[in-house]
Amino acid sequence: MRGSGDRGSGAHSDTPSPAEVLRIAASGRAGASLQQRVLQDLLDAGQPCTSRQVVDELRARAGVAAGRDLARVMTRLAALGGRLVVAGDERYPSLLADAWPELGAPVWLFVAGVRPPVERRPAVAIVGTRIPSLDGARTARRLGAALAEAGVVVVSGLARGIDQAAHHGALDVGGCTVAVLGTGLGVDYPARTSPLRDAIAASGAVLSELLPGVGPRPWQFLERNRIISGLADATVVVEGRETSGALQTARLAAGQGRDVWAVPGSINAPTSAAPLALLRDGARPLTSIDELVTCVAATAGHGGHADSPAPTTTLSPSARTVLDLLGPVPASTDALVAAGTLPAQVVMVAVAELVDLGLGAVTANGVVRV
Amino acid sequence: MTSVAEPAVGVARSVAVVGLEAVDVAVEVSMSAGLPGFTVIGATGVAGRQAADRVRAALAATGIRLPPRKILASLAPADVPTSGARFDLALAVALLVRLGLVPPGAVAGSAFLGELALDGGVRPVPAVLPAAAHLAARDVARLVVADANASEACLVGGIEVVAMTDLSEVVDVCAGNTAARSAVPLPPATATALPDLADVRGQGEARRACEIAAAGGHHMLLLGPPGCGKSMLAARLVGLLPPLSEEQALEVLAVRSVAGLLTGPVPSALDRTPPLRRPHHATTAAALLGGGSGIARPGEISLACHGVLFLDELFEWPRRLLDALREPLEEGRVRIARARATVHYPAGFLLVAAANPCPCGGAGSCVCAEADIWAYRRRLSGPLADRIDLAPRLQRLRADDLVTGAVGESSAAVATRVAEARAVAVNRWGVPNGSARGDRVRATARREALRTLGRAVETGTLTGRGFDRALRVARTCADLGGADLVDRTHVLEALAHRAALRSVGVDHAAGRRGA
Repeated sequence: MRGSGDRGSGAHSDTPSPAEVLRIAASGRAGASLQQRVLQDLLDAGQPCTSRQVVDELRARAGVAAGRDLARVMTRLAALGGRLVVAGDERYPSLLADAWPELGAPVWLFVAGVRPPVERRPAVAIVGTRIPSLDGARTARRLGAALAEAGVVVVSGLARGIDQAAHHGALDVGGCTVAVLGTGLGVDYPARTSPLRDAIAASGAVLSELLPGVGPRPWQFLERNRIISGLADATVVVEGRETSGALQTARLAAGQGRDVWAVPGSINAPTSAAPLALLRDGARPLTSIDELVTCVAATAGHGGHADSPAPTTTLSPSARTVLDLLGPVPASTDALVAAGTLPAQVVMVAVAELVDLGLGAVTANGVVRV
Repeated sequence: MTSVAEPAVGVARSVAVVGLEAVDVAVEVSMSAGLPGFTVIGATGVAGRQAADRVRAALAATGIRLPPRKILASLAPADVPTSGARFDLALAVALLVRLGLVPPGAVAGSAFLGELALDGGVRPVPAVLPAAAHLAARDVARLVVADANASEACLVGGIEVVAMTDLSEVVDVCAGNTAARSAVPLPPATATALPDLADVRGQGEARRACEIAAAGGHHMLLLGPPGCGKSMLAARLVGLLPPLSEEQALEVLAVRSVAGLLTGPVPSALDRTPPLRRPHHATTAAALLGGGSGIARPGEISLACHGVLFLDELFEWPRRLLDALREPLEEGRVRIARARATVHYPAGFLLVAAANPCPCGGAGSCVCAEADIWAYRRRLSGPLADRIDLAPRLQRLRADDLVTGAVGESSAAVATRVAEARAVAVNRWGVPNGSARGDRVRATARREALRTLGRAVETGTLTGRGFDRALRVARTCADLGGADLVDRTHVLEALAHRAALRSVGVDHAAGRRGA
């Protein structure tokens, strides 16, 4: 089981120690792409892909960090309250370990937070566009809340839009949520998210495979997606455009043998392109939040929770008329006036009534049904 | 020219205007032995020397040579900021009295306002209207002004207005050689037709918002892509407002007079149309708020008093300028402090702003980056945003709508409702609903209406401060509907008209809240 880079020290166990791995990681040369290449080479050579094997191989190819670099990384990590978790270690998330090594899960993770997703709890990733519709953001938030309430860990990527809405949803109900960053720990990216990151760390964990302080680079986010899907039993795509990164996350999840759910959207909305493409390719349609919650929570023996039915009984006739005209695509007052027989003033009152009852919501482009 | 007995001091009256306040000024001229010269004291800066030179030249052109003695003219009281050329005529008359060319009795009950041309002609000056109003309330029987100022001075009754063409006419009239030409008011102007609301196709939301804004004096932000008719609506809002009272119309004219905008003849019947001012977003602070050196002149916000101030492209305006609108919006007047005087101008305008929903303007097919939209919309935050109550969203009309779209109500029909609702509100608390006190408005609302508002605050749809503001709008909706009490429907409508204010970017609020 000893790798070619093994220098024969008797202290070597089957799992490399964090200190040993940190020396390699701190070199900054053993990134995700090298790790995956090493894994692939080992697989091709028919060799066992244990973390020991990979670490030794990485050391051989990337070398180790100079003492100064190592010290800098350690200081930084300590200042952030983070720690290094190595594949094979019992603190390495078990779901991610299941996906390792065949799908290129990371050899190590930098983790900050109180409840890293270690123990076997069901987890669901919620991903989607950074520019969602109001309906999409609301769906993500409700999904996050419902899942967290059912005891499911909500995994997402901290991006604006759907990701943050999902985190917020879980935090709303005091649940556990995990953010996988596309930057190193301790970088305020997306800008001004540090209160949210703190809240996430206090509820679950914020983690990254990158060295603390590494800034945003486009490819890092694509590589990060495999960790999101790997950490979750199922991945839900709420909204996304044709080229959305959420599509990639979903395909990785499918490749890792995980469930992929997609929230069906209007065929007229550009934000529906990704979920509709996934549905066409066989993803499970998310027709109700309860369905997902029940399905996922069943794994852990938790029951789902039911939404209280909307109080439609007190609706005025005009509000009911308008409600019937509404959908997820924003409708302007003029469009509602043109579509029905009500004057603008009555339509506006009806819309406000629907908003008051939580049945409608106003967006910049008009009103949508919630 | 016959010489009469020379008095020791020649005196003529004139009027200074500081802000809209008129102040009596006495012009005194004395002659004494000494180095020959003509000095004006009491005037600020170089104005005195220039006035002396103009008067000397005008007298020479009229054939009057100053004797080679030391001539001293004084503008009293000396601490009143006096600048400009408005005292030229009074200076010349006081000098003529001192020289014995005009009997003191001929000018005793008169006041003089006018600039002198070098050829002896009398030229118009600004701020004649406030001066005339001031004099009419005093023991002054006649106001002598330039021909071009005569119609303006005639607007206030109670004072005889005499128009003078040049200095020789002044001398002839005062010496009793010719009769004074009393100015007569010009015939009323034919009313110019205002643009009609019926020209606006569709836009039901915005039409209703205009009606509410006019009835309650609530400030409004029109949101819509370029070319959807925002300026068109703003121009029609003026026609929905009730006509100005005589007092208001005079105030509007007085501000224009002080600003030097009343240059042409002014018809006798006051223009009762509320003013519409639409300054461009490159306007300076001095031009918007009032300013200038010496005594600050009124700015666009004062010229829009009792009418509409339309700020197009609101998000293009510098934040600093928008924030400066807070005091005028709050107090209905603006205070401008300068080294020589602090003046107040009225500034009780209805603010109508317009903006594109995002920097590119393309609603629906927007190509802006999210960060750009946020930066763009952030300019509205702060004091101004808190004072806007109506934010109708306008849609760009399709070509066939323009041709076949239903024709809406005319301005006249809407203006009737507006006038009735306004009268009800003014009867109730003396001011339009937009300026009514919150606790008094709350007392006229049903409990269910207040509960709906409270719920909106709880869900974050409405800020705490927005509670009373939305309720005032609801009060106006109730008045427009002829209801005594504000009920839930009115509150819901008020909330609907605010909705876009919050959603100026609320699409992403779910992800933002608590972050």
